[in-house]
Amino acid sequence: MKPARLAVPALFALAVFMVALPFGLKLHQQDFMISLLVWVLVVSSYRLMALTGEYSLVHVVLMGAGAYSSALLAKLAGFSVWLAMPCGALVAAGLAAVLSFPLFRMSGFYFLIGSFAAGEAIRLSWTYFTVPFGGPKGIKLIPSPELTLPGLGPIAFYEPIPYYYLTLIVVGISLFVLYRLENSRVGLTMNAIHWRAPLAESVGVDTWRYRALAFVIASFFAGLAGALFCHYYGTANPVQFDVAAMVYVLIWVIVGGVSRFSGPIVGVVVLSVLNELFREAEQWRPLIYGCILIAVMLYLPDGLIGLPARIRDWIEARRGVAALPAGAEEPADFSSSKRH
Amino acid sequence: MGITRRDLLTATAGTAVLGSSVIPRIAFGETKTLKIGFLAPLTGEVSAWGLPGLYGCEVLVKNINAAGGVKIGDDTYTLELASFDDEYLPDKALQGFKKLVSEEGAKFVMMLGGDPWPGVQRFANQSKMLATTLLPSDLSPDTPYLLAPCEVHPIYNVTGVEYLARTFPDAKRAVICAQNDSLGIPSVATYEAAFEAAGIEVVDVNIFDPATTDFAPLVTSLLAKKPDIFCYDTAYADFVNLIAQQLHVQGYKGLQISCTCDNYPQIVEKTSKEFMEGFIFQFPDFDDPKLNEPFINFPEPNKFFADYNAAHPGTWTAVSWEYPSIIVQWIAGAKLAGSIEPMQVLEAMKSKPSWPHIFGEAEWWGQDLWGINNALVGKWPVVVIRDGKAVIAEYGDIPAWWAKNKDLMIKHMRNRKQMWDQRA
Repeated sequence: MKPARLAVPALFALAVFMVALPFGLKLHQQDFMISLLVWVLVVSSYRLMALTGEYSLVHVVLMGAGAYSSALLAKLAGFSVWLAMPCGALVAAGLAAVLSFPLFRMSGFYFLIGSFAAGEAIRLSWTYFTVPFGGPKGIKLIPSPELTLPGLGPIAFYEPIPYYYLTLIVVGISLFVLYRLENSRVGLTMNAIHWRAPLAESVGVDTWRYRALAFVIASFFAGLAGALFCHYYGTANPVQFDVAAMVYVLIWVIVGGVSRFSGPIVGVVVLSVLNELFREAEQWRPLIYGCILIAVMLYLPDGLIGLPARIRDWIEARRGVAALPAGAEEPADFSSSKRH
Repeated sequence: MGITRRDLLTATAGTAVLGSSVIPRIAFGETKTLKIGFLAPLTGEVSAWGLPGLYGCEVLVKNINAAGGVKIGDDTYTLELASFDDEYLPDKALQGFKKLVSEEGAKFVMMLGGDPWPGVQRFANQSKMLATTLLPSDLSPDTPYLLAPCEVHPIYNVTGVEYLARTFPDAKRAVICAQNDSLGIPSVATYEAAFEAAGIEVVDVNIFDPATTDFAPLVTSLLAKKPDIFCYDTAYADFVNLIAQQLHVQGYKGLQISCTCDNYPQIVEKTSKEFMEGFIFQFPDFDDPKLNEPFINFPEPNKFFADYNAAHPGTWTAVSWEYPSIIVQWIAGAKLAGSIEPMQVLEAMKSKPSWPHIFGEAEWWGQDLWGINNALVGKWPVVVIRDGKAVIAEYGDIPAWWAKNKDLMIKHMRNRKQMWDQRA
C-alpha cells in the first residue's frame, strides 16, 4: 500500500487514539495533554509564518495577546467565554496586522530583532499597566467556559477531560485549516516567496501582502491557543509569554523540522514527552534535554521528521545498496506534488 | 487544647526521644508513611528559591526519620517527600499539584507561590487541600486553604529598616531598585512605608525589567542621587550579586540593605569585606548562636546547618530553612489535630490566635492586606554582615511596627496597586 493511501486510515487511527487517550491517563497527565495540544497549535501556526521565510520572536507574545484579550473580555466585559476566545484570537490577529507595517519593512535578521523588540514592548505594557492587565501578577481567576446540554446538564469545563475534548476539537479544526491553507494557492505562493522572492515579485506577487497575511493568520491561531490556555489554567501573566517560552517554540519547530507540516508537531510532542519522562531527574533534566537537542542538530539536520529517511538510508547502506543523501527522496511538502 | 513550643519541639527534634520506643514498631512494619508535597521551581531562573528548599527538607526529613519518625494520634509515621518541578509556570504547577495530591497522596503541599499559584488555586479549593506559600501576596479571601506560615514577604523587611534607622540615625536619603515583578513591587511599597516611618526620604526608585543583565547604568543613575542608603529591595540572588559588584566598582561607600543576600560569601569574595561590612538583610545562616534562643521553634538549627552544608555544600539560601520550618509547623498542627487529614490539621493550626512560628510565637494575620488572616506574623531576624560573615543583629517585632504604621503601609501598598482588592 502506498504511503498516501495509508494517510486516511492512519489519521482515523490517530483520531480514535486521541479520543480514547484521556481515559488511559492519570489526572496530571490529562492536564499535560491539554497543555501539549495548545502548544501543538502554537508551533503549527508558527510554521505558517516560517513558510514565507521569516522567523519572528513575537509569536508567543501574540499568543499572550489572545490570552489577555479573551480573559479581559470574559472577566471584565462580561463576554461569554465562547465569544471571548475567538475575539481574543482576532485581537492577536489585529495586533499582527498593525505590526506588519513596521516589521515587514525589514527582513531576515533585522525582522527577527524587530519582532523581538515589538514583542517585548507589548509584554512590558502588560507589566506596566496594572489596570487592566494586572501588572506583574497578571490576571487570575479567569472563568472557564460554561455549556449546558439538553439531557446532559452542565458540562464542567474546568475539569480536564471535558476541556481536553474542547481543546482537541479546536486544535483539530485549526490544524485542518492550516494544512489546507498551506497546500492552497496562497500557501504555495508563500512558499515561493520564501525560496524565490524576487522571482515571485517579477510575476506580480505582492510579497509584502503575502508575508503580512501569513503573519496575521498565524497570529490568529496563536491568539486562539492563548485563549484556550488561559481559560483552563485560570491565569495569564507576562512571564508565561516571555522570550524563554518563545525560545522553546523555536526549539520545538527546529528540532521537529520545518520542511513538513507535521515536523513542528513531532518536535513539540517528542520533546515535551521526553521532558516529562525525565522529570524524576529533577535538576539534571535541562542537561539531558540540551544533549538531545545537540544530538538532533548534529545528526538530524532535517529535524526529527527526517529520522525515518535516515534510518531507511542507513538500512540500505548496510545492505550494500548505494544510499541517497538523507532526505533526498523526500518530496518537500512545499512542492506542487503535495498540493492536494 | 493548645500547643506550646515544648509540644512543637517534641514533635520534631523531640522525635529523637521517640526513637527508642518507635524502632521496635518499625521492625514489625507498623510505621506508616506520610507524604509531604513539595511543588516549587527546581530548574530555571527561579530555582534558587526552590531547589535549596528541597535540599533543606530532605535533610530535615532524614533527621526526623533517623530519630524514629513522627507520632501523630495513635500512629507513627516516617516522612517521605514527593517533589515536582513547577518551572515557575501555572500549567506545570497545576499538573504537579494534581500529581502530588491525587497520585502521591501528599497530605499537604508546600509551594514557593507567586505566578504558579493562580493555576493551582481552583483545584486546591475543590480538593480542599492544605497548601503553603512563601509569598503571602498569594493570599486572598478566595484562598481559604492556603497558609503563609513562615515567610511574610515583604512585611518583615520593615525590621531591617527600623534597625538601620536606629543604628545609623544620620542616614536620611535612600534609593531603591527592584525588578518589575510580583516579588519586587510589593517589596518596594513595603520599603517605601518603612523608610517613611523611619523619617528617611526615598530620593529615587528604579524599577527594572527582570531580563536586565547590565546594571551599570542603573547603579550610575541611582548613585547620582547621592544616597546614604542603597536598597536592593527583593532582588533575585543574581541581581543582588551583579548590583553589588557594580556598586563596588563605582566606589559606593554608603549603607546597603536588602531583603535577601543569598550566596553572600561569593559577593564578599568578588567585592571586599570592607565593602560588605554592615550589609543588612533578613535571612540568617543557621549556625548563628542567636538561633539557640529558647523561643526558636526549630529542631537543632546549628546541627541542621552543618548537616545541610555537608550534604549540599555551597547551596545554602534563604529558602533552605523556610520550607523545613513549614514541615515543623505542620507536624505540630497534625499532632494537635491528632490527624494527618488536611482540613483537620488546618483547623487545628487556625484554632488558636497565635502559633509557634520559627522565630517565636506569632499571630494569624493579614486581613488588612490580603483579606484573610492566613499569614503568621511575629518576630523576624535582622541580619548584618560583619567581617564577611552574616550574624543576627536582633529580632525585629513586625506586629509592633504594624500597630504604629498600619495606615502608612496600606497607603503605599495601595499606591503600588498591591492590595488584594486591586489585583486583576
